[in-house]
Amino acid sequence: MLNVNLTKHFGDFALRTQFEIGAEVLVLFGPSGAGKSLTLNCIAGLVAPDDGSVVLDHRVLFDHPARVNVPTRARRIGYVFQNYALFPHLTARENIAFGVRRDPNARQRVDAMLELVGLTSLATRHPAHLSGGQQQRVALARALAPRPELLLLDEPFSALDAPTRMQLRRELLHLQRALRIPMVFVTHDLGEAYFLADQLAVIDRGEILQMDAPGKVLRYPACLRVATAVGVKNILPGTLVARDAAGCRVRVGAVALDAPPYPFDVGARVHVCLRPERIMLLRPERAGRSSDENALRGEIVREMSDGMTATLFLRAAGARLIAAQDYDVQIELPVYIYERLDLARRREWTVSLRKNAIHLLGG
Amino acid sequence: MNWSPLLLSIQVTFFATLGILAIGLALALLLARTRVRGKIIVETLINLPLVLPPSVVGYYLLIALGREGPLVRWFDLNLLFTWQAAVVAAIVVALPLMVQSAKAALESVDPTLENVARTLGSTESEIIWRVTLPLARRGILAGLVLGSARALGEFGATLMVAGNIPGVTQTAPLAIYDAVQSGRFADANGLVLMLSGLSFVSLLVVNRMQKGNVTRDA
Repeated sequence: MLNVNLTKHFGDFALRTQFEIGAEVLVLFGPSGAGKSLTLNCIAGLVAPDDGSVVLDHRVLFDHPARVNVPTRARRIGYVFQNYALFPHLTARENIAFGVRRDPNARQRVDAMLELVGLTSLATRHPAHLSGGQQQRVALARALAPRPELLLLDEPFSALDAPTRMQLRRELLHLQRALRIPMVFVTHDLGEAYFLADQLAVIDRGEILQMDAPGKVLRYPACLRVATAVGVKNILPGTLVARDAAGCRVRVGAVALDAPPYPFDVGARVHVCLRPERIMLLRPERAGRSSDENALRGEIVREMSDGMTATLFLRAAGARLIAAQDYDVQIELPVYIYERLDLARRREWTVSLRKNAIHLLGG
Repeated sequence: MNWSPLLLSIQVTFFATLGILAIGLALALLLARTRVRGKIIVETLINLPLVLPPSVVGYYLLIALGREGPLVRWFDLNLLFTWQAAVVAAIVVALPLMVQSAKAALESVDPTLENVARTLGSTESEIIWRVTLPLARRGILAGLVLGSARALGEFGATLMVAGNIPGVTQTAPLAIYDAVQSGRFADANGLVLMLSGLSFVSLLVVNRMQKGNVTRDA
């Protein structure tokens, strides 16, 4: 169990963080300069917070009012840094042994860690003779060798190629399930955050904007900044025009949309949040059925693709959602669907902004 | 040929090197790792012998080691005109070379590595011995070799505090001067060749160290 409550000022920048986690993975997700690494450094004791407390399994590591500040070396916190930070003058084995040299069973421990990360055959190599992925495995083994009660990871995989990154993410999850210790993982990669997180904290300008299960954060962002950060591409300003037990009706531009029930008053200014992958293209023979929710007819005016996902920009024919833009909604779908629907040639479509895909935020 | 000046030079250089290592490393750590007010003043004072005329450095040492100096007053230890005075002079003039090189090497050690050591349970002194110094060792060794070479060639300040007593304080550079003054060019040639060779090898070693990477295998 890790309980953190911190304040730290650096010039204009103020970090205010508060959270509690069990033996699970907390991902701190946010842009550069949001205060993610600073949070880790405060927990590890490398930076002294101005105020607050850090408690790990009932051990008070930092408590400003009580003047407790346990030095980093006694905190029993493992820390994996961004660029591996291996000791270049030591071999893989010596790196891993660095934190357990007072342990009478150090040899067995280091052997076990080498085996855990699959590097037994490379134990005598220096870091310069290891690949990036191997170096990060050594760094992980080194951090875990002294049996820490908490593991901090600061964008540990960001410098690796994509397949290695994927592999190491899977290995880390396996390790976490085996070790049952809390981990705090910093990243600015949303996919990585979603993959690893039991709890996802969106952090910006020194503040945790929302912390919840990753599915919830992506689906129900708590504010516009979170919505933007987690890839809600369609954020449409509107006005609530009607409400009953079954749902709300929101006017966006010249269109009225059905939304699930939300506790806003009639007349309130709201934002309709709609994830681009949740918009459904309707086959022509299906379009026009009365069961289709929030149907919108229009033309694809622009598109782009990264080879896996196609992004389409649909401009409504007739009533527009946002008159000031050259398109109304952004739609994402897998490339194989794009090809099957022959989207390269057929540009006029009816889409459904399904009621249950809509999330409302206050103005 | 009379070997005693060369042997004395080696003796003086050996002890001076020990002094340069201990004092120079301590000063370099102090300058690289602490934030003390007036650090720049200390650094400038250390570097002063690089630009001052040897006679000025010698004059200060003469006063410091002389009858009114602290060594005589507190320990009744008068080093003037002994080979130990030559060691002191050699340390003072060689120190800036060691401190500059070692300080630069210490400052180039990535602070993240020291933080890693902290998270792995190391105390601050363990970090210095097991991380900082090993990673800075090329720069430290380069400074030490350079300082030793400078100590071996020390002439002016040595002349003022140790004199030029054959067999007692006459080091190789002083003996060369003496030999030339009295027209013994054969003696001078031998010593000149020896000193030139030693200095050349020292600089060669330093250059190789500085060209090599900061860390083994890196």
